[in-house]
Amino acid sequence: MMGREEIDGSIEQPARTNDVIYDLRDVYKNREAEGVAFQLTIPILQISRGEKIALIGQSGCGKSTLLDMLAFISEPTKSASFVFNYQDKDKKWLQQDIDRLWSKHQYNPLCETRRHHIGYVMQTGGLLPYLTVQENINLSRDILGLPSDDTTEKLINELGLRYHLKKRPNALSTGERQRVAIARALAHRPEIVIADEPTASLDPFASKTVMSIFMRLVEEMGITVIVASHAWDDIKELGLRRLSHHSLRSPEELKTETIVTG
Amino acid sequence: MIQISRLALKDYLNEWQISICYIFALAAVLGPMMVLFSLKFGIVSGMFDQLIDDPRNRELRPVYSGRFSEEWIAELQQRSDVEFLVPKTRSLAASMLLKSKTAPRIISVELVPTGKNDPLLPHSKEYPKGFDSIVLSKSVAKKLAVKAGDTIEGSIQRHYLGVTERKQLPLRVVSIANSSAFTRDGAFASIEMLEAFENYRDGQEVPVLKWAGSKPNDEKKYFTSFRLFSKSIDDVAGLQKWLEGKGVEVITQIDDIKVVQNMDKTLSTIYWAIALIGIIGFSTSLGSNLWANVERKRRDLSIIRVIGFSTSNLIAFPIVQSLLTVIFGWLLAVGIYLGVSFWINALMAAQLEVGERVCMLLPEHYAISLALAVILSVFVATLAGIRAAFIEPAQGIREI
Repeated sequence: MMGREEIDGSIEQPARTNDVIYDLRDVYKNREAEGVAFQLTIPILQISRGEKIALIGQSGCGKSTLLDMLAFISEPTKSASFVFNYQDKDKKWLQQDIDRLWSKHQYNPLCETRRHHIGYVMQTGGLLPYLTVQENINLSRDILGLPSDDTTEKLINELGLRYHLKKRPNALSTGERQRVAIARALAHRPEIVIADEPTASLDPFASKTVMSIFMRLVEEMGITVIVASHAWDDIKELGLRRLSHHSLRSPEELKTETIVTG
Repeated sequence: MIQISRLALKDYLNEWQISICYIFALAAVLGPMMVLFSLKFGIVSGMFDQLIDDPRNRELRPVYSGRFSEEWIAELQQRSDVEFLVPKTRSLAASMLLKSKTAPRIISVELVPTGKNDPLLPHSKEYPKGFDSIVLSKSVAKKLAVKAGDTIEGSIQRHYLGVTERKQLPLRVVSIANSSAFTRDGAFASIEMLEAFENYRDGQEVPVLKWAGSKPNDEKKYFTSFRLFSKSIDDVAGLQKWLEGKGVEVITQIDDIKVVQNMDKTLSTIYWAIALIGIIGFSTSLGSNLWANVERKRRDLSIIRVIGFSTSNLIAFPIVQSLLTVIFGWLLAVGIYLGVSFWINALMAAQLEVGERVCMLLPEHYAISLALAVILSVFVATLAGIRAAFIEPAQGIREI
């Protein structure tokens, strides 16, 4: 009999709207690293249009794993249903069966969905070192063949990147790099922006500033946002819905299971 | 694809130091290989081909005069291993006197029958036809002080019914033969002219030239000998056997040919072994460099993936970069080769004939080396790219 211990958990009722973007049922992801098994279990998860979701937890609890699955860059080990709903150019709702695409190894439709509808802010920026700030920001638009417009201009101004446009990422501070990463993730006006600990490497003050600009921008642009963070205190005033999750760990610490619902 | 090519190019330029290292690494292997191959080609192929191609090595000369009918000559002509064949008239009748306006001397020359594609006259576009044109040997041209295009006068004489007669013919010099083609005083003329001269000297009439004489008797026409060249030196032995089977003994260079063939085989084997080792070394060097480059870029490639570039784009990225390396590396290798070969050729200039080179590559050799490098690099880059594409992007972006 395996004893279980609840190490983190709080359940909040999600506020639902009708425009469900993500609809996940019984999705699992298993991983094993250095003899320690890890399982992420998602019995049910629905994220609606315009929601601001926070995923709070210690590192290693599976936040990034969940974000990666939501960004279609990591394949679920098993899933009963994994549906992504999005609006096309004519505001018509379309459905993408993500689970089916993964199981049929159709990576290009996954890529295309990601290209059009998702912005991803990586933990360490994920800027391409050989492109200037301007080119990095434009990348998400260029790949879709979109011309530069006032979205880019607005992002550059709001994020205070005006004087850094010609620089390469290695000439920027960590905070500046994260702001560029945010600009790139929002520039093509995606349906959703996913941010994995976007301010983890910043000092608390900078972290707070960047986070509040980020939240203001997504709100203004009407973009759904999913943020992972290890510090709820930093973002609790920003009005995010916090996804509930339990982490269960066997006493021998050979197996960790995180259950996320929302 | 334009997008990803631009990204690949920008990355390549941004990392110019590393890119230059790869380019140098490629050129360092390819350049010496090109020098090596050019030596093989320049020395072995060049000099041995010269031996092989020397038409005199392909000539089969009858030892004795014989009686060869027109039909027999025609049959020999039909053989696929025969490149050039022309019958010969009696050698005593095959001579004439030549005189030019530019020199005081009258020269007596041997007449050699010729025709289209005479291997001894490879440089002349035109060949002597009928009774008004001729090719002079170098010595004759010198003694008569004439050049191609000049007109000279030829004459022959006979003793007919107790009278010495002489006939003159104006002859246009079509070209001058190389000194190696005929070393004595001689002239190449059409077989018709030689036959006419033979008939005239036999006291017969030559209606075409309106030279009077007795009517020829209607017996079959026979030639005493022939000039025969095989297609290649490899055909000499077979042709010799056939002729000897017909009772025609011939002189050939067959013993020399065998020595040349054996040496060519041995040297070719040695050089191909060296070339093979070179190609393997080159492939390994280029392949491992490209592979290492993709390994190094796994994180960047994953980021590109996360932004939304497709799998084919991801594979195209290293391919574009490897093509850049190959093209610049190849250009550098060509530069190295040209420099080294110029130096070697200059060093050896004293021992060489004009136009001869120790190091030599043909345009197709450049093309082959480039194609080889491109195919190889695209292959390796594709493999490495596919490998990178199979890494889950989520995993790639979190690698430090």
